[in-house]
This record gives sequence, C-alpha cells and structure tokens, in this order.
Amino acid sequence: MSSIDLFFQQILNGLTLGSVYGLVALGLTLVYGILHVPNFSHGALYMVGAFVAFFLIVDLGINYWVAMIGAAAVVAILGVLSERLVFTPLRHAPPIHDKIAAIGVLLFLEAVIMAIWGAEFRRMPAPYTEMLSIGNVAAPAQRWLIIAGALLLMAALHLFLKKTIAGSTISALAQNREGASLVGIDASRVAMLTFAISGALAAVAAVLFAPINLVYPAMGHLVIMKAFVIIILGGMGSVPGAILGGMIIGFAESFGAFYISTDYKDIIAFVLLVVILSFRPNGLFTQGER
Amino acid sequence: MLQLENLSVRYGSFRALNDVSLHADEGELVVLLGANGAGKSSIFLTVSGLNKPAGGAIRLKGKEIGGMKPSKIVRSGVVHCPEGRKLFPKMSVMKNLTLGAYVYSRDQVGVRRSLEEVFELFPILRDKRYEAAGSLSGGQQQMVAIGRALMGRPKILLLDEPSLGLAPLVVKQVLDVVKKINENGTTVLLAEQNAFAALKIAHRAYVIEGGRIVMEGESDTLLHDENVRKAYIGA
Ligand SMILES: Nc1ncnc2c1ncn2[C@@H]1O[C@H](COP(=O)(O)OP(=O)(O)O)[C@@H](O)[C@H]1O
Ligand SMILES: [Mg+2]
Repeated sequence: MSSIDLFFQQILNGLTLGSVYGLVALGLTLVYGILHVPNFSHGALYMVGAFVAFFLIVDLGINYWVAMIGAAAVVAILGVLSERLVFTPLRHAPPIHDKIAAIGVLLFLEAVIMAIWGAEFRRMPAPYTEMLSIGNVAAPAQRWLIIAGALLLMAALHLFLKKTIAGSTISALAQNREGASLVGIDASRVAMLTFAISGALAAVAAVLFAPINLVYPAMGHLVIMKAFVIIILGGMGSVPGAILGGMIIGFAESFGAFYISTDYKDIIAFVLLVVILSFRPNGLFTQGER
Repeated sequence: MLQLENLSVRYGSFRALNDVSLHADEGELVVLLGANGAGKSSIFLTVSGLNKPAGGAIRLKGKEIGGMKPSKIVRSGVVHCPEGRKLFPKMSVMKNLTLGAYVYSRDQVGVRRSLEEVFELFPILRDKRYEAAGSLSGGQQQMVAIGRALMGRPKILLLDEPSLGLAPLVVKQVLDVVKKINENGTTVLLAEQNAFAALKIAHRAYVIEGGRIVMEGESDTLLHDENVRKAYIGA
C-alpha cells in the first residue's frame, strides 16, 4: 500500500473510532446536562447493549438490525429504571451520593452479565463481511456501517433536539431547570426521556462496534473513560462538543497508533486531555460561562 | 380569581411565610411591596408549585391548587414570570417564546396568535427573534421573560420584580407594559421594591415584612400613607 493509501486508512480508522466514542459521549453529556450527574454506569449500559444483541443474534438467530433495535430498547428501559430507582431518589442528596450510586449501578450490571454469560470474550458475527471500497479506500463493510450509522444517528439527534418540542424540553431543562418547570415542562418526564435516549445511543454504539471488536463484561471500561475525556474536552453538557471531541480522540488514537506506536494507543486520549486542559481549563467548546 | 388563605412556607426549620392571606380579583392589578427577604418570591414560588406550602390554602377561582405540580398549575392558568427571568439563554428569543406555550403546543394556530400578540407588545423582540436570549440587554431579556409568560395564556400573571437591575427609563417602559397587559384583561400580581412606580399602576397593594402581611389597601391610600412613604418611597 502506498503511504497515501495508508493515510486514508488512518482517516477511516479515526472516523470509525470517533463515531463510536461520539455516540457514547453524547449519551453521557445529555444526562450530565440535565442532572449534573457523571453517569459512571453508562459504560455498563454500553456493555449490556452488546450482550443483549449478542444473545439475540447468536442464541435466537435474529437479524442484526432487529437485534440492534432490541438492544437499544432493553438498554433504554434499563437507563430509565436507573433514573427512577436510583438517581431520582438521590436528587436532593449531597452530590457525592449520585456518583457512588452510579458506580453501584455499574458494578451491579457487570455482576448480572457475568452471572449469566461468564467472563469469556465472545465474537459477534458481522452482518456484512465483504470489503467495500469508496474511492481508493477499501475497508470491511462493517467500518463503513459504523461511520454511516453513527453520523445518521447524530444528525437525527441534532434534529430531534433542535426541531421537535420533546427535544427542546431536554435543552430547556439543561439551560434552566426552574424556567423549564415554570413553562409547564415536567422535569421527571424529561429526565426519563433523556436516560432512554442516552441508553439507546450507548447500545447502538456497542452493537455497531462489536462485530469488529470483542464482547466481554469489561468492554465498557475503556470506552467510558474515553467518553469522559471527550465530554470534559467538549464541555460537559455540550452536544456538538461531544461529537467533535469524539472525532478528535478517534483521530488522535488512530494516527497515534500508526505513527507512534500501537502500545500507546489507549494513553493518547488521556495525554490529550492533560495537554488541552492546560490551555483551556473549561474544555474546547465552552465560552467561559456557567 | 386567586386567593391565599393563611399560607405558610418553610425552608427547613426557617419559616419564610407566616399565615399570609391575600387575594387578587378578576381584572385587578395587585402589588406586593416588601424589602429584600420579606417573602415576596416565596409567595410566588409556592403559588406556581415550585415550593410546597407548609400550611394554608391556595385557591384559583375557588379551586384548591396548593401543592399541585407546576405543570398542572400552568395549565390551570397561573403563570409565573420569575425573579431573575430564568430564560433559556442559548435558545433564540423565538424558541424561548414558543416554549412559553409548551402546554399548548398541540394548538399551533393559537401559539402563532399569542406570538403575534407578544411581538405587538414588544416590537423589539420581533427584530431580535433569531438572537440568543442570553445575548440581549437586561431590559430586552425581561421583555422575553414577560412574553414567555404571556405565551402560557395566563388568567393570572405573577410578575416577580420585573424591574430588578434595570435602568430607570427601562423600568418605566416595563411597568407601562405591565399596566397594558392588565388593561387587556389579565389579572396581575406584581412584586416590586419600586414602591412609588408600582403603586402608580396598581389598584391595590399589600405590604409584606418578615413573612407577614403588615398592611393592605388601595394604592392611593398607601401612596399617601406616612409609614409607607418613609419605609418604601423615601419621601
Ligand atoms: N431556598 C431557600 N432556602 C432557605 N431560605 C430561603 C430560600 N429562599 C428564600 N429563603 C429565605 O426566605 C426569606 C424570604 O425570601 P424571598 O421569598 O426570596 O424574599 P423576597 O422575594 O421578598 O426578597 C428570606 O429570609 C430568604 O433568605
Ligand atoms: Mg424576591
């Protein structure tokens, strides 16, 4: 392969990783925006999404796309349940309590998955195994699928938040909770909606990524750490920040792995975090408010 | 229209309101006068459902609304334009206004009609409709806040210190609009520290101190009352 082809391959890798990270970070940032809870259990929701789809595809022989919808629905419900049963009761507790509870939910979900499926690594069959070239760049169809799927979902989410009334209620609650209540927006319904969307996004990200990765109970750990890096970079609660931050980390990893060393791939996100925060302590996309 | 009977409100063990009774009749403009910390906002927040009453009754046209969820209270026609405005700063003026009609979002024709009415009342907002609410001047933001409340089709409008932090000329403009809103048929309960200006436009007034109503009467009477003049008008 010529070096220009290799360069395009890295772009493609960066886009793939950035797409997955961006979807996970979006869910995290939405929840942070309205509840100001760093939802540490979000990585476990991502992992549960992969297992649910794995079960549907491998054990029940269900079509990949249907399994993706099924996983999104199950994880959306889990997200809503965690909001109702754990985060709502802690709404007026000292802030450290939500964080501890979020870790509790994470450990609980991992333990349940371990109890059912054990700790082994599993492989989810890819729905399309052929190579697909666009221009000069050839890649497994699944990679194109991840990029297209994620971009489509991000665009849909953007339209939902900006153009629909239900979407506006999420932004309204994030921007001014009291103001939102005073116009008649029901804060607890919005919180449930946000957790459902956040969970569904994590599940879809996991189901898109799983066929070129592995499925195992700890699969959410690195992803969620990176998603936190992304929303800190992008500004906690910022939607464009999560998407751009995801792409920045995706590209940095893919180019770092190729031009520096694969061994350092997972450290790059954290190095970038330290470097960027030294220059912009409030993240890249905040204008010094809040 | 709105009637509070022996309303009490607590923050933890602190009693912010003690047996507050007041009423605003249909078509009235009633002003609540009181220094900072007297309890004006506590009254409003409790009527609109953001705080829960510790005792007493809140009735709208005879129907008890005390302790209901804010979303239900808005639907019943009590709309609260809060102190400090509580706008959605990153959304456009237009979006802020349309969200004001959130409980009527099924009725888009009605929403557009209310929007026209708000633009008629505040022509400057029409020019600024695509700008972020947070980027406007204080006076304009107050107009958005009042406009957003009007979009909720109030039978009674609770206006909490709309003149706070505004330049004297702008204060006059805002209070003129309040008067106009009242003349167009909306009952208004207004909290103000600007006693003189508020009494000029109001029909009746209550004076609140330390969480209790200490005086009430016609605006004219209070305007000429020795104690009120000393304490709130400084003349
Ligand atoms: N959330 C709160 N927690 C505790 N005390 C409060 C709270 N809000 C108001 N207070 C207290 O209640 C009293 C009345 O306040 P408020 O209703 O805001 O008065 P006003 O609007 O007339 O300035 C004040 O002493 C204030 O310090
Ligand atoms: Mg006040």
